[in-house]
Amino acid sequence: MDKPVSKKILLFGLLALMSFAWPAQNKVTVWMIGDSTMCRYDSSRFPLTGWGMPFADYFSSAVTIKNKARGGRSTRTFLSEGLWQPIKDSLRKGDYVFIQFGHNDEAENYPDRYTPPAAYRKNLIRFVNDARAKKAIPVLITPVSRRKFDAAGHALETHAVYSGVVREVAHRHHVSLIDLDRMSIDLYQRYGPKNAKLLFNLLAPGENPAYPKGIAHNKTHFNAYGARHIAELVLRGIEQLHLKLADYIVKN
Amino acid sequence: MRSTGKKISLLALLLLTAFAPAKRKDITVYLIGDSTMADKAVKAYPETGWGMPFHYFFDSSVTVDNRAKNGRSTRTFMEEGRWKAVMNVLHPGDYVLIQFGHNDEVPAKKSYTPPEQFKANLRKFVSDARSRKAFPVLITPVARRRFDSAGRVVETHPLYAGLVREVAKKNKVPLIDLDQQSQALLQQFGPEKSKFLFNYLAPGENPHYPEGRADNTHFSELGARKMAEIVLQGIRDLHLGLADRIRVVDQKEKK
Repeated sequence: MDKPVSKKILLFGLLALMSFAWPAQNKVTVWMIGDSTMCRYDSSRFPLTGWGMPFADYFSSAVTIKNKARGGRSTRTFLSEGLWQPIKDSLRKGDYVFIQFGHNDEAENYPDRYTPPAAYRKNLIRFVNDARAKKAIPVLITPVSRRKFDAAGHALETHAVYSGVVREVAHRHHVSLIDLDRMSIDLYQRYGPKNAKLLFNLLAPGENPAYPKGIAHNKTHFNAYGARHIAELVLRGIEQLHLKLADYIVKN
Repeated sequence: MRSTGKKISLLALLLLTAFAPAKRKDITVYLIGDSTMADKAVKAYPETGWGMPFHYFFDSSVTVDNRAKNGRSTRTFMEEGRWKAVMNVLHPGDYVLIQFGHNDEVPAKKSYTPPEQFKANLRKFVSDARSRKAFPVLITPVARRRFDSAGRVVETHPLYAGLVREVAKKNKVPLIDLDQQSQALLQQFGPEKSKFLFNYLAPGENPHYPEGRADNTHFSELGARKMAEIVLQGIRDLHLGLADRIRVVDQKEKK
């Protein structure tokens, strides 16, 4: 009499425990490492917006976005400043690491940031291997394009060499790739030379009271509107790759 | 000896008052209005009310408290106790920015408020705010996106925007004519480009709107910021005390 009942209770208890443990297992963290095009900005910098900011608004509560991107960083300085180590230490099985560098790696005129292609390749492989060693899932992202058009109104490639390196590393090491460079060039082309400016942190003098002189030049950094469009491209990339993470994107 | 000590302390006091920046009293700017102004739930993004970017433009002495709510008219805002809740916390020196009309003016809506009642409600907001020594500012309802076949902007709040102007004039309330100025902005953008200001999304573009969206009333991040900029310029043009609290970024000259 006694035994089967206690077995049943045990089984029931186990099931109850499992049903409560289940959501905890479903928690996933997305670590974002990259540069100023991806990073967060204080509201005092508004309308300047990194694409990682709106990106965080499109996931269910099971997902935690840790945007660790920093302005001005290349793969080399992100590593040498010790920004990667604490992330690496915190990685857990099933976490994602979204990797988007290039703008500062390729900047030969900034020697303190510059990273030659061979070293860039090596650093990307290091991020990938470190992530995999912790059973996390690396995702390589080509650097979002700068806004550049030729006289005929064609959107031009602005990271040819460094995006090529990202694609090559992704291919050789079987890493999921989101070709944001290509996707953003297509986006700018759809907007055209004049309207594409609406995506960037540009302001006419007197337009915005915080910036009386306006912001006359910007081919790189987004406003809130542009950052959201770039985030949409990355979200689409996640869906096209059929990453498990796609199941956590909130659809109304 | 004593008088020297007194003189020194007096001097010190004078020096202190001369150098201590006049500490401004912290104030709150309450926004009351409808969905075009309101903070949005994350799941509604990228739909953006103009009250959302409006937060970012003031120094630390200003708290923007956006009480605007989707779907509300002057009448339903009051019936639901939302105005009373503002009145309960309104202090001397605070501001109340008032923008209604979208839901008042549509007879088919439950929120409909006939013109006379709309005016009476605006007057109540104004006189209540003044009774607390707070500053009311009336704002005409921001334009919807509508163009005629020749590409000219069509006025979308002819009657109710006029009522706001009338109440402002008769009661000497500062007025920001957002309706008129947003129409000018829409005209400047033109029929096609003006879609960028509104929540226009292609199917599949944004996860929150899988079927896409073509909204001629509610803004994108871009439109919301542009509308907020118009309101801020209005605050400047009116020489409101609040204008001195608009944050100006120290712009370094770029090489």
